[in-house]
Amino acid sequence: MIVKDLSSCSNYYSQFFKEYTELRMQENREINIAYVKGNLMRNEINATSGVSARVYKSGSWGFSSNPDLNPDTAKSVIKSATDNALYLDSRVKKSEKPLPDDKTLAENDFATRNIRRSQKELVDFAKELDTYIDNKYPSLTSRIVVLRCLDMEKSVITSSGSSFFSMIPRTNFIIRLSTEKDGHPVELYDVTGGLGQFEDLYNSASELYQKVDKIYEHLMNKREGVFSNAGVRPCVLDAALAGILAHEAIGHTTEADLVLGGSVAGDYMGKEVASDLVTLVDFAHTAMGGTCPVPVYVDDEGIKAEDAVIIEKGVLKCFMHNKESANHFDAKPTGNARAYQFSDEPLIRMRNTAILPGESHLEEMIASIEDGYYLMKPGNGQADSTSEFMFGVPLGYEIKNGKLGKAIKDTTISGVAFDMLKTVTMVSDDMSWSNGGMCGKKQPIPVGLGGPAIKCKVNVGGR
Amino acid sequence: MNNREIARYGLSCLIKAGADKAQCVLAKSEKRELNVEAGKFSLIRTTYDSNMNYKAIKDNREGITRSNKTDKDCIEQAAADALEIATSSQFDNAYDIAEKQESKKFYSGSKEPDIDRMFNRLQTFVESVKEKYPKTILELAILDFTHLNSYFMNSNGVDFTTSKGIYNFIAMFTSKDEERTSSFNYSGFSTRELEKEFLDYGTINLLLKQSSEQLELNTINEKFTGDIIITPDSLAEFIDYFTGIFLRDVPIISGTSVFKDKLNEQVADSGFTLYSRPISGEIADNYFVTPDGFEAKDSTIIEKGVLKSFLLSLYGANKTVRERAVNSGNVYVVDPGDQSFDDMVKSVKRGLLLCRFSGGYPNDNGDFSGVAKNSYYIEDGEIKYPTNETMISGNLTELFMNIKSISKERVNYGDKILPWLLTSGITISGK
Repeated sequence: MIVKDLSSCSNYYSQFFKEYTELRMQENREINIAYVKGNLMRNEINATSGVSARVYKSGSWGFSSNPDLNPDTAKSVIKSATDNALYLDSRVKKSEKPLPDDKTLAENDFATRNIRRSQKELVDFAKELDTYIDNKYPSLTSRIVVLRCLDMEKSVITSSGSSFFSMIPRTNFIIRLSTEKDGHPVELYDVTGGLGQFEDLYNSASELYQKVDKIYEHLMNKREGVFSNAGVRPCVLDAALAGILAHEAIGHTTEADLVLGGSVAGDYMGKEVASDLVTLVDFAHTAMGGTCPVPVYVDDEGIKAEDAVIIEKGVLKCFMHNKESANHFDAKPTGNARAYQFSDEPLIRMRNTAILPGESHLEEMIASIEDGYYLMKPGNGQADSTSEFMFGVPLGYEIKNGKLGKAIKDTTISGVAFDMLKTVTMVSDDMSWSNGGMCGKKQPIPVGLGGPAIKCKVNVGGR
Repeated sequence: MNNREIARYGLSCLIKAGADKAQCVLAKSEKRELNVEAGKFSLIRTTYDSNMNYKAIKDNREGITRSNKTDKDCIEQAAADALEIATSSQFDNAYDIAEKQESKKFYSGSKEPDIDRMFNRLQTFVESVKEKYPKTILELAILDFTHLNSYFMNSNGVDFTTSKGIYNFIAMFTSKDEERTSSFNYSGFSTRELEKEFLDYGTINLLLKQSSEQLELNTINEKFTGDIIITPDSLAEFIDYFTGIFLRDVPIISGTSVFKDKLNEQVADSGFTLYSRPISGEIADNYFVTPDGFEAKDSTIIEKGVLKSFLLSLYGANKTVRERAVNSGNVYVVDPGDQSFDDMVKSVKRGLLLCRFSGGYPNDNGDFSGVAKNSYYIEDGEIKYPTNETMISGNLTELFMNIKSISKERVNYGDKILPWLLTSGITISGK
């Protein structure tokens, strides 16, 4: 168990702080259950915890971590991190100015108050869902049901006075169905769930039957689907796709460390980079009156997390910062520094990235397209320092004369995001979040993606 | 308790808790890591970790727990949890552990890093990049030395010890000239000793040179079917797709692999031979024991285009009544061909030199599409220009079946050895 109230020990530990220091105790707990075609291929519990310290000396950082959670180990990682910072400073002598101050006190605990379910109950729940699929859709060639639970619990103090505890859980079901067409496999998956422990999200497997039925319906449409017609086409990107676009193609280019690494956004500050219908925000914890999928109240450097309004009515307004990049750009830290494991140092990471809703209705957006596509779900995606992006699209439909047509086979969309966002002509008035994704950047980290649907022109792959 | 005794205690706790079959693995690691960000040294890390992995099988039901704690109370709790999970599991005859093998100790690499040498090598690299490629920014460069001691024991008497030290390096870079920005690119290597400058390992220097050229891009303004030369860096990704979608447990058990009934049949061009060589002397980053507890052996996966082995674990093999793979894959080595890279380029009428593929994970059928990043247009046997916003699409099975030639030259990354590969029938579309 980590020390929940690390601030109570701050007097003891602070005597070992020789330079700016962060001390973090963290535990990640995971449950993984996976049924593959009725076979229980994974039934695991993993727990990883430990203590780490990070020390800053004139532009050089030192870090150290150890899995043993006791005061002597904490003392030794502070010393080791300090030694590392001093060694690096002695070699590179950057002479950078001190980091911005912080003094934030907080406790944010999203642990369930309900009675916890046993592993057996979780296995039985997943089995019930798998059995439902098998019984109702026996013609499927394969099915996969995965339950993933992740609890991230952190307790942090900094030498400049911040102290916080957070427990942010996430629970997801991944349901993947497969069929065949002319001997070739066709598959479709969806991810459901989000913020909270299992007991706060699910009561009965039957709550997920409707989701299964919807995946099956789309899969049968996709089975008879057509290849998309390659080229730049007018499209409606549904919320999940607009969210991943906001995250991958725009968000990453505006992380200040990547700006320093040469990202194209470094040249665009204050410039028009999108249609004036587009406002893009990396929300800290609350959006439109609701709690975000990955609420961050204080980041791992002890900075009070605030929303970063990256694009406002089409104009690039800010980058996302940690303390060091805020120093460099003479900006205010935004509270974006987060670490995944106790043994990871905080990096600039997005939290909940979304385009804000507009005023159009989805139906009228589809009706406005003569020949194009309604692209509904993203597969995996990647983006570049140039904002050039690529996302797999496992589910979409043709739009012909303003009406939805045939489903399309797996395809890919690509483009340059800062060009593509200038083609946005309609933004829907609704908003939905997805909370199943992990962002990769040296370390993985849970992120929230969201937004409305957008109408734009995008390069669609195909044959 | 010393490490060996900790692993032994974990195993005894599983048996005492009632496991019919039990397996306990302790991996203790120490990592020293240097980081460069935006061309400047930024961070030194020292991290210690322990990973205890417990597997219990009781009445043909399996439970697994993992923890990074090695004190007695935590070990006893984790072992009890594994049994409880096993109780919750479903009956399956395919759950098993490795049979008894001769106990062995495996050694590879150094025990301790040379920190000053690590710093000096990385500093030389940073300065060399600045000097040779002034428009290229090192977004991130990470050099680490990781030493791992692992102890693998099971109730059948398996007792393997591994002591391994390895240096790993990765660099990610972008070129920038005023408002022109190249796509980022990256590469890396693994080595037991830091015996040479980093620009001389793998494809680091080649990719940095290409990056500096990629500020001036041209667009292919049409769509055509052509050839692609897949570079070793890109080939690693396509081989991972191939093995993941067609040869491993999930696609074989679920029946989605299009090769599920193709053992000893042609699945690639006859010039293509693929090995997994975890214990080869050519490889710096070896592994000696599979996750199931078998001593790893080198294997031939595809020989002259014929599928010789799936990559099935013990569970996958038992479940599908097929042969277990003698290793857990990766550490891929492809036999060289008989054509030089230059001649390969000369043979291309129209196509791409594919240097990085940014694509969606191919579907079960092997269909893939994505962006050809950091790539070059080839016409009439000449590399013409770096391309912009160019998409490629094709099918994995066809890609390996349509191989036209494989280069004589190969790149040894320390964890794989791969050539350039020329294949045909790829849809290439510009903006």
